[in-house]
Amino acid sequence: MTGNVPFSDMLVYLDGSEGSMSAAMYAVLLAKGTGSRLHALYCINTKALGDLVKARIFINQEKAEYMDDMGKDARRHIRHIEKLAHSKGVEVTGVIVDGSPSAEVLRYIKDNHVDLLVLGSVNMIRSRREELTSESDRMLRTSPCPVLVARDDESIWQMFEELD
Amino acid sequence: MGLLEIIDKDLIINPLTSVKREDIIRDLVGAYCDKEALDEDQREAIVRAVIDRELIASTAMEKGIAIPHAKIPFLKKSAIVIGVSRIPVDFGGSEKSSIFFLVLASQENPTEHVQLLSSIARLCSSDVFVRMLASSRSADEVYQLFFD
Repeated sequence: MTGNVPFSDMLVYLDGSEGSMSAAMYAVLLAKGTGSRLHALYCINTKALGDLVKARIFINQEKAEYMDDMGKDARRHIRHIEKLAHSKGVEVTGVIVDGSPSAEVLRYIKDNHVDLLVLGSVNMIRSRREELTSESDRMLRTSPCPVLVARDDESIWQMFEELD
Repeated sequence: MGLLEIIDKDLIINPLTSVKREDIIRDLVGAYCDKEALDEDQREAIVRAVIDRELIASTAMEKGIAIPHAKIPFLKKSAIVIGVSRIPVDFGGSEKSSIFFLVLASQENPTEHVQLLSSIARLCSSDVFVRMLASSRSADEVYQLFFD
């Protein structure tokens, strides 16, 4: 807890989508406004890659290529949030992990005493099929701490631009 | 974007009438190129990329499903074309295929591409879903199955 704010360690989950970048901006704004610590995590989904090889959809060469591409993507997005945060005078701990995103986010929350999870767009409920549950949906449902969903909205970009 | 955001009713072919692997790939790619008004060179580049990938190892899996795919440098966003054939076709796997998911990936978001393929694989692990897909009779029926 920071002052009168009920959280002190905030984690924003990045997955390369535009929605997660809006969430990152919102998290920077929140950290700036509350003085809480900001963590950003990108998980390279090696669980899905492994499953795709097992199902024979991917060959090992593709798995290696995608590992490489996703690693670059992860570093690019972590660098981006670091840049965003520094532009507003906020410190951020950027972390890249691999595995199953929802499991890794939960592990990080527990290991680092995170008390607010910030997510980007959560899919609209358009199907009842459990197989189509996204990683963000899983995090939303299973997070041990409160979750804030930042809608991918232009107002976030505007607020971010306006903040000194 | 998740699978449900990408599925487009105009990009579902049911029934597919071709009976050869290359022709099926051409039909699926053709649907996408027609929709996106891509030129002949782009169409050929996509067909070549998908066929080249299939020649390394067939993407035909069990339950009569095949998931041909390729990374296409000039695509700005990923796309999926679904095809259902009444007649199982030899797609290079140990069993014939009648349900096809063509996944075209942009190079911009590799994570999204992996998530899409993973969602399709998870969905196809359901015997009931696959049976319903195989017995569907129109593009509308296929589309509805995803949104039940």
